[in-house]
Amino acid sequence: MHHYELVVIIHPDLDDEAIEQALDKIRTWITNNGGSIDKIDKWGKRRMSYAIQKQNEGIYYLLDISMPPTSIAELEKNLVILEPVMRHMIVAK
Amino acid sequence: MANETNTNASGRNSEKRPRRRFNTRYVRKPRYCQFCSDKTLVIDYKNTTLLRKLTTEEGKIRPRRQTGTCAKHQRAVAREIKRARHIALLPFTGGTWEEKIR
Repeated sequence: MHHYELVVIIHPDLDDEAIEQALDKIRTWITNNGGSIDKIDKWGKRRMSYAIQKQNEGIYYLLDISMPPTSIAELEKNLVILEPVMRHMIVAK
Repeated sequence: MANETNTNASGRNSEKRPRRRFNTRYVRKPRYCQFCSDKTLVIDYKNTTLLRKLTTEEGKIRPRRQTGTCAKHQRAVAREIKRARHIALLPFTGGTWEEKIR
């Protein structure tokens, strides 16, 4: 088990329910692969330095997770497909 | 006669002017790495206020000769700035320039 930081930028036009659904999906992907979420930090709606998908704002979430390194690649693959997530980044701590 | 002495005097004066051994107009500040001297300063992609000081207005990474950071910490700074750029906390290129276009 290694510690990682996952930053997710979610589309700003979504309502709370859709955001929660997306976060739930991420949660299940992590826990199903033998990982756990240590902390979820909501930064909220922020102005981005440049437009992503023609949006000037994004909803930022920072997740502190611990996961076996072998399943990180799979999580990354899933995050790319997940529609509400505009951008993500996984950083080893 | 009077003219001659004048030119002589001026000539002597120019000789007396102290010669510059090195360029005194530019005095180098003592270099120190802010991250080496302050161990509590953590270079992190989330700390945008710190990273903004280490980038130019155009969004470029400031060179070591401007910021005084040591080689080891400069590598860390560069890494974290690139991370911050990826999640749009810092611009890849001139924030001010882009806004003017809009």
